[in-house]
Amino acid sequence: MQELGKAESNSTRIIRQDDKRVIIEKDLDTEYMVLSMGPQHPSTHGVLRLECITDGEVVVEAEPYLGYLHRCFEKYCENVDYPAIVPYTDRMDYLAGMNSELAYCITVEKLLDIEIPRRVEFIRVIVSELNRIASHLVAIGTYAIDLGAFTPFLFCFRDREHIMSLLEWISGARMLYNYIWIGGLAYDVPADFKKRVAEFIAYFKPKVVELYKLLTENEIFVKRTYDIGIMPADVAINYGWSGPMLRGSGVKWDLRRNDPYSIYPELDFDVPVPDGKFSVVGDCLSRHLVRALEIDESLKIISQCLDKMPEEPNFNSRAVIPKRIRPKAGEVYGRAENPRGELGYYIVSDGKSTKPVRCKARSSCFVNLSAMKDLSKGQLIPDLVAIIGSIDIVLGEVDR
Amino acid sequence: MSSSPSLNTWSDALSGFSIGWFPLGLVIVAVIPLVFIALYALTYGVYGERKISAFMQDRLGPMEVGFWGILQTLADILKLLQKEDIVPTAADKFLFVIGPGILFVGSFLAFAVLPFGPAFIGADLNVGLFYAVGIVAIEVVGILAAGWGSNNKWALYGAVRSVAQIVSYEIPASIALLCAAMLAGTLSMQQITVMQTGPGGFMHWFLFNNPIAWLPFLIYFISSLAETNRAPFDIPEAESELVAGYFTEYSGMKFAVIFLAEYGSMFMVSAVLAVAFLGGWASPLPNIGGLHLNDMTSGPAWGAFWIIMKGFFFIFVQMWLRWTLPRLRVDQLMYLCWKVLTPFALIAFVLTAVWEIYR
Amino acid sequence: MSEYFSNIKTGATTIATGMGITLKHFFNAIKRKGDTGIDDADYFRQVDGLCTLQYPKEAIPTPPHGRYRLYVNIDDCIGCCQCERACPVECITIETIKTTADDLAVCGKTSGGQQKRMWVPVFDIDTAKCMTCGICQSVCPTDCIYHTPVADFSEFNVKNMLYHFGNLSKIEAEAKKKKLAEQQAQAAKEKAAAGAAGAPAAKPAPKPAPKPAPQQKEGEA
Repeated sequence: MQELGKAESNSTRIIRQDDKRVIIEKDLDTEYMVLSMGPQHPSTHGVLRLECITDGEVVVEAEPYLGYLHRCFEKYCENVDYPAIVPYTDRMDYLAGMNSELAYCITVEKLLDIEIPRRVEFIRVIVSELNRIASHLVAIGTYAIDLGAFTPFLFCFRDREHIMSLLEWISGARMLYNYIWIGGLAYDVPADFKKRVAEFIAYFKPKVVELYKLLTENEIFVKRTYDIGIMPADVAINYGWSGPMLRGSGVKWDLRRNDPYSIYPELDFDVPVPDGKFSVVGDCLSRHLVRALEIDESLKIISQCLDKMPEEPNFNSRAVIPKRIRPKAGEVYGRAENPRGELGYYIVSDGKSTKPVRCKARSSCFVNLSAMKDLSKGQLIPDLVAIIGSIDIVLGEVDR
Repeated sequence: MSSSPSLNTWSDALSGFSIGWFPLGLVIVAVIPLVFIALYALTYGVYGERKISAFMQDRLGPMEVGFWGILQTLADILKLLQKEDIVPTAADKFLFVIGPGILFVGSFLAFAVLPFGPAFIGADLNVGLFYAVGIVAIEVVGILAAGWGSNNKWALYGAVRSVAQIVSYEIPASIALLCAAMLAGTLSMQQITVMQTGPGGFMHWFLFNNPIAWLPFLIYFISSLAETNRAPFDIPEAESELVAGYFTEYSGMKFAVIFLAEYGSMFMVSAVLAVAFLGGWASPLPNIGGLHLNDMTSGPAWGAFWIIMKGFFFIFVQMWLRWTLPRLRVDQLMYLCWKVLTPFALIAFVLTAVWEIYR
Repeated sequence: MSEYFSNIKTGATTIATGMGITLKHFFNAIKRKGDTGIDDADYFRQVDGLCTLQYPKEAIPTPPHGRYRLYVNIDDCIGCCQCERACPVECITIETIKTTADDLAVCGKTSGGQQKRMWVPVFDIDTAKCMTCGICQSVCPTDCIYHTPVADFSEFNVKNMLYHFGNLSKIEAEAKKKKLAEQQAQAAKEKAAAGAAGAPAAKPAPKPAPKPAPQQKEGEA
């Protein structure tokens, strides 16, 4: 990366040696151009805007501008009751509604200090892992589209559709579920649910292999992502990265293991971390691989949950839901492993009101995106697109 | 015009045909490729691409307009015709307007030397192959005009990338075609095809009658993808990077013209490939003993059928590749051209020369 | 040099693998997945082939408790206004009129056998605003407001998205209001008469008359 510093000066030329490193030489007199990428751009995943200063195709500096999807989530939370915030958490990270709900609900439950039935915990884990798969499928699919491969994208969406149907079946909605409630669930799962999820796993496993063959192993894809946008582990930690992004840099940090919640301690699953054989640790390919491998791990978790889930006929999933949620005065920070990293809620209650005094969301995408400026220095525009794609941002969560 | 008089009698008779002073025959001759182009562009080109991509992606594709959406392209063109013809205020109006025109003309000019059958060729130039390669390069001017004239940063990127790409890939493509010309000993498209006809059907094609031609064949195919800006070399119009590349600012009928030009040149390079290595209009079926399959499937109408089918097959492969592969990066594209295709093309060239001397 | 050739080789083989996959899908296009719902046992039977559904003609069936269009069974509504208060997006507008004693029988009972004590002349739901969270459904004591699995209820005019469920017409509502006001005025008068001895008589009198619909809200923004 050192050589790229020369791009600061005027009059440059790039050479990419051994397909790896960009070297910039002084040459003809050139001028910088300001290129506004987004908010309406196919590869900025929504309404991110990057103001790039470019020298030909080389990005000298890229500054992300946010706020195009700001919906005052935190201020709104101060004006609605605790249970009514749950549908809003869905709308933050709309690709992983269940995970957002889970994070919020365990936070409020921590504040309320209530015990959750085991069956509820199992169902929560199943749905949030299903949603994690769905979210990773979108991440991988849109990443493929960023790099010009359209077909894997549609294959991913085809399989995601099955997950959405499953979740619609249990919750009643396809994307914005409001299924996990504080202290319970909106409904118990339908009778055939376990069978159908098992069928889905059987259906999905060969499709994942096919996806690997079509995309992950494709030489062009590997060449496009290999050694691009490297983030060293220490810098990643300093930026506060979490989730697949941090694991892509080789740090084995997963809240399901490191700060366990729900029933994750009972389950057997790995935390995939790139070993540096197929990819350079910390590059775009590593981050992609972590997501791809996490799909397998999530499938593993789901099938374990299906085996271990206690059967309770006439189970009332709303049994321990408090009639009126008015937590005692205090503050709490709860967090859970979102598909994009650590999603945390900081809630302050005054003990009198049924509304939180303050509800701060610690959004993983926002934190991950903050490294954009560092990552994009001296990259080509196609690499910039590859880097944005590998960060896997959901602007709903970035802007809230 | 008449390098193969016996084959061209049918065509000559047609062009000599006139009602009174009106040269009806000539008009028909001129209309045949136009009708073909229109039909091809409307049906197979755009509609075929949409359907093929849909089937590869487990979708249905256009279904509403006509039976299985067969008239979808017509409906799209009608819609595009009705759209307002917008020229951005900041654009260079002359270049902006002339760009799609050059592109369109450039991609269809090469049809003049395509032999559509033993009896039909627009102009049997003695440098036909050279002309076909050269005229495609005119597209570069159109793309540059469109990209520069749009006065849009994305369009400029697209245009610059495109020019670099097309000019670079001309080299391996031309060398590969030169191998075919060496095997045939002529540059005339009609003559190259005639060299590959015979009772053995496909056995006479350059691809199969010598051990080297697969290499230039492959090289030309890959370079032709780059020359027509098709995936995985579609970096000039890379959707996820450059929005739409050099035609970002175009809308309405100008957009449609650029679109049709792309499909026109797709067929053109496929047909050149078919002529150079796969016998053009020659029938692939051999005469087996008393069964004269080759003779039965040869002739003016069959000739047109075979070359169009061969062209369509390669267009299918182009689409197939497009809907499978990610896109290369700019520098990887250049690496592939200069460090892989060009050396191999030169090797193929030498090997072909050796084969020609010692066979 | 060997890396150069191995690169070309891996490139060619992986591209060929990818092309094989897409070609397989291309030939699988003769099969179609169909529109079996997720609650159907056959849902994962056909895994290959086209999965498009041509929407207006075919559609993914919504599950039985799909949360889509709101419906109010107004016969069961007791006018408690819990849903209105719970709704996070304030898409429900309710006006109630207290039922007079002689009307209780006319007002009837809910299907659960509970005596209704309120007329509900206005029960409007702005489905354009509704975010289908289902909170109203969860707070309703008589389960009279619920989401139906009707997913497609699009309209050309957004005003048509305002659904009216009230059980009284405007004229009827006026009559009931008047009746209630009269009765309350009567009661107040009687009370005043009864307590005329000591208590300040004027105090309770203005109370009942002016506000016949206490739950009425300003027009939604």
